[in-house]
Formats: sequence, C-alpha cells, structure tokens
Amino acid sequence: MLAASVLTVVGTPFLAARFADRSWPSGVFVGATGAARALGVELLDPLLTAGVALPGGARRGLLVAALPVLLLVVVLGRFFCGWLCPYLPLLAVSNAVRWALARLGIPTLDLRLPGWIRFAVLGVVLGGTGALGVQLATLVYPPALLARTAYRLAFGLGLGGAAVVVAVVWLFDTTVSRAGFCRSLCPGGALFSLLGARSPVGVRRVASRCTDCTVCDVVCNLGQGPMTDRVDAGCERCGRCVAACPTGALSLSFEGRRR
Amino acid sequence: MNRRGLLALAAGAVSGLLVRRSPSAAGELRPPGALPPGAFERACIGCVRCAEVCPTRAIRFPPGAGLDAGHPFLALRESACVLCMACTEACPTGALARIPPVPERIAAEVRIGVPVLDRKACLPWSGQGVCRLCAYVCPLGTAAVELVGPQQAPLFHPEGCVGCGLCEEACPEEARAVRIRARPGGEA
Repeated sequence: MLAASVLTVVGTPFLAARFADRSWPSGVFVGATGAARALGVELLDPLLTAGVALPGGARRGLLVAALPVLLLVVVLGRFFCGWLCPYLPLLAVSNAVRWALARLGIPTLDLRLPGWIRFAVLGVVLGGTGALGVQLATLVYPPALLARTAYRLAFGLGLGGAAVVVAVVWLFDTTVSRAGFCRSLCPGGALFSLLGARSPVGVRRVASRCTDCTVCDVVCNLGQGPMTDRVDAGCERCGRCVAACPTGALSLSFEGRRR
Repeated sequence: MNRRGLLALAAGAVSGLLVRRSPSAAGELRPPGALPPGAFERACIGCVRCAEVCPTRAIRFPPGAGLDAGHPFLALRESACVLCMACTEACPTGALARIPPVPERIAAEVRIGVPVLDRKACLPWSGQGVCRLCAYVCPLGTAAVELVGPQQAPLFHPEGCVGCGLCEEACPEEARAVRIRARPGGEA
C-alpha cells in the first residue's frame, strides 16, 4: 500500500521532470506507464502489445519487449492495477469524495456491473483494433491516457482530450460505481486477470484469527471478498485488506489463492 | 474466466470487427521512419515516447480524443526535424522503423514528405529579392534543392529530399513559399 502511493505520487513529478529536462539521457529512462524503457529494458503493457500484435502489425522484437511485464503479470496477476496504475491517486480521491458525500448525506450510486462486461469491453477493444486498423486501447485505457496528459502538461499544452476521457472515468467511479471502471470496464484489468488467472500469489486467510468483522471486504476497491475466501482473478494484490485486518488474519503469499 | 466471460469476449470481438473505418485522414506528416499509412496507425500505441525525446519538439500529438488522438504528427512550420533519429530509437513497437543517425542511411530511408514550392510567393522566383535560405539550411544539399537561373531561385528535387522541413521553417514569414506535404500515395 505504502509502495503504491509512493510510486504513483513520486512517479508523476518524476515523469514531468523527465519531459521538462531534455538533458536526461533517454538511455536511462524513457516513456511512462504503458510503454517505458528503463536501463535498456522495455516495459511494454500487454494490452497495448496485444493491440499491435493481433492485427498483424507485430515485428519480431515486439514479443521480446513485452516479455518482462508479461512474466510479471503471469506470476503476480493483476498487480499492476493495485501498485502501478497512474489512475490510483485519482481513484483514491474518488473514494474520498464518495466518503465525503456520504458524510454530507448526499447519496452516491454503487452500481455493480456483471463480471463478464469487462471481457466484452476487452473483446470490443481488440476486435475493433483489428477492424479499424487503429489502436483503440490507447484511447480508453487510463495509463495511456494519463501518459498523454502528463506529456501535454509537461510541454505546457494544457489538458486536452485524454484528460477529458479520464475525467469521465473519474466521474463514473465517483458518482455511479465505486472503482467501477477498474472493476468492470477497464480492458487492461480484464486482460491482466485473464493472463494472471493461474497466478500463485494471493490473499490467504487464517480462519482461526478471523473475527468476521468485514473490514477487508469494505476496503477492497474491486469487490472481492477476502473475509469469506471469495477472491478471484479480479484481485489486484494491492494488500489493502491485509493492511486493514485488525487481527492479522490475512496475508499476501505465494500459493495463497484458494477458491 | 467462466463460460459467460468467454462468450462476452467473443461477442465483443465480433461486434468490434463489425466496425468499419471512415476513410483515414491521409496527408498527416509522420515522424521519420514511419511505416506507410495504415500500417503506421496499426502499429502506433500512442505512448508519446517519440515526442518525449524529440529535441526540437517537432513531434506533436492531436489535442482531441478521437481515433487519431494517439498518433504523432509533425508541425514542421513551427519546428523542423533535425534528423537526429532519436524518435526511431525510442519507438517501442516499430511503428517508426529504426534508422541509424548516419547521413547515408538518413538520405536513403527518411521519407517524411516532399517539398512543394509556391513560386508566386517565393522571393527569388517572384523577383522580390535574393533569399536562398532554403538552400542554405538544407542538410541534403544540392541533391534536394539547387539554386538555378539568374535569380538563383530554388529548384527542389523531391526524390532527393527527406522532408525534414528545415527549409519550410527557414522560409521567411512574408513568403512562406515552401511546404512539406505528405508523399502522394503514401509511399514510405
């Protein structure tokens, strides 16, 4: 949890500094979440890679460039969403606003969309990319949208269309469904939960310590149910439930996922 | 993923495939090494790395959120390309094919666009003055632009030009006679 906030809060000014100061050698670090390169190692988002590879636009080095992140996703599942997604700080603000609205007695919806919708979105994005010959993921996927927004801000170009799309996503999460985009609409989250379906890392509960207090279920952004061992591939391994558990009954561990 | 998820994925993919694209706005100038129109849009993920490393900020991204929002273009009149090839090195997907920053390779492989000269606006051609700026700044030399006739007016050779736009940037504000245009037929 701490790591997540440090990475995202520190990451954004870091990115802005990289854009602003051209003397930084691009051999050390270039890019942003979605497509970065650090010390010569490509860190390509599997969703964006899939969009390039599917319509036959792949070159030989593409898979090699996608491999580091792909391996991480296979082992750690949807960890990117809970640790590295640049949308996380905005989601934290969204949750805080939801909380504040509730305190003020202003009702907010918490629509739970069915789980299959995110796979339908992923299908439309990849199928549409093939049909249109234009990468659709980069137009709706928050890490890509926020990278372009950071670029515009750092270059003094104002906000722009990518920021508008992010604002729509944020308003949806804030007023219609808590983390609803992440949970039910994000094509990246859908692909990561597919690729990480066999991930050995997950939340484990020691039943004898659990007092059924429901705190873990409440803090989870993605509607998982650690208290009743109902944690599936949609878990982003963020560890919020582990940190929130008052009795230390939960832990993130290898071979932890039990259905 | 359960059976319903699989069905949703398949249904989404099929409905996505049904979409047809309106004719693309060909004619945008792409960064050096760009694949031909069509292939470029398929391969570019809009990661902005090319714009990030561009030393002259010639590489821009559209401000909107439409289908073209993730595709870099060149604003040569405001800022020309200095042919450093950093963008081709930064591109992660091969949408910009890598070109080493060697003069021979650049001359042979960079095809951003072709120069189009409006002789009525060009100072030497229209007898308004002696200018020659385009010929002086051209990194390709006489292969791309020669000074001809008693007025020493510029004569462009599109086949020897890489389309970097240094001439367009240098062309005096009052004249703005030379423009880099996309290659007809989108040849790369």
